[in-house]
Amino acid sequence: MVEKKVRIPEAGQWPDKLALPALAAGAVLTTVGFLMAFLFAAPVNGAALDTPELVNGVMVTHQQLISQKIFYFHMPVAIVSFVMLIFSAYYGIRFLTTREQRFDTCSRVAMELTLLFVIFTMVTGDLWTRFEWGVWWTWEPRLTTYLILMLIVIAYFVMRNSIDDPERRATYASVISLIAFVDVPICFMITRLIPSSVHPVIAREGGMTPDMAATVLVVMIGMMLVAFGLYRLRFREARLAERLQALKDQLED
Amino acid sequence: MNPILADIYATVIPSAPFIIAAYAILWLALLVYVIKVVSGLKKTEAQMAVLEEAVRAKEGGVSR
Repeated sequence: MVEKKVRIPEAGQWPDKLALPALAAGAVLTTVGFLMAFLFAAPVNGAALDTPELVNGVMVTHQQLISQKIFYFHMPVAIVSFVMLIFSAYYGIRFLTTREQRFDTCSRVAMELTLLFVIFTMVTGDLWTRFEWGVWWTWEPRLTTYLILMLIVIAYFVMRNSIDDPERRATYASVISLIAFVDVPICFMITRLIPSSVHPVIAREGGMTPDMAATVLVVMIGMMLVAFGLYRLRFREARLAERLQALKDQLED
Repeated sequence: MNPILADIYATVIPSAPFIIAAYAILWLALLVYVIKVVSGLKKTEAQMAVLEEAVRAKEGGVSR
């Protein structure tokens, strides 16, 4: 029987050539998205006014909420955190099936970016919650499941730092990445199963207006490109560090 | 100011610090991470070049 050859990811290949252009394009798109959020997308309605007022030829019937502008970055960074976690779990499975350390490196780098984007989601969400609801934290279903996700991701790195044996460390890390992955659909679907006023289901409530959707899309593509660029740069650095260690070992021998 | 207009935009000024903080933290943290990754990459590349040279010198010494 012919054994199927496993393709192992390596730094210095064609995706690395795209890393810096992707980062630059991501920076441009997110900047454009930022400008669109404030100059193009209309503010959302707050509390109803006692007396409607004509402003610039438009009848305004509600207070105009500017705090919602945080949404244009909050949602895309949350989606990117899920995507990076899916990659981490995928490489975790590849490690468990092949026992190839390179897949563990890929999984670790993807998990590092997951943590970064989870922190972004938490910070932007908390600042929004603080203004809208007057509290820094509320035990709402989406927030709780996302906090669990963040704790699992932190546990992943705590565990990695506490085990010296690379094989055992990679095995445990892969399992934790899979546990974290299980939380992704729960986190995503929880507001559909347990309705919440803090995290509305946008599609169920009539969807976004075209200006809002366009702004979210631009920021989403920008953040995806930033994440891709960062992943490739960080993977290249991790691979170089591994080769450096191998060279040091060679010199010591 | 027209009291109705004041009511329409009542939340704008109070929410500004939170919006500015959210965007500033996000951009600054992203920038710090990018700088950290790029400087780490450069440092590792420099160490690699020095070590490769040392390995070559060692192998050259052995073969001579």
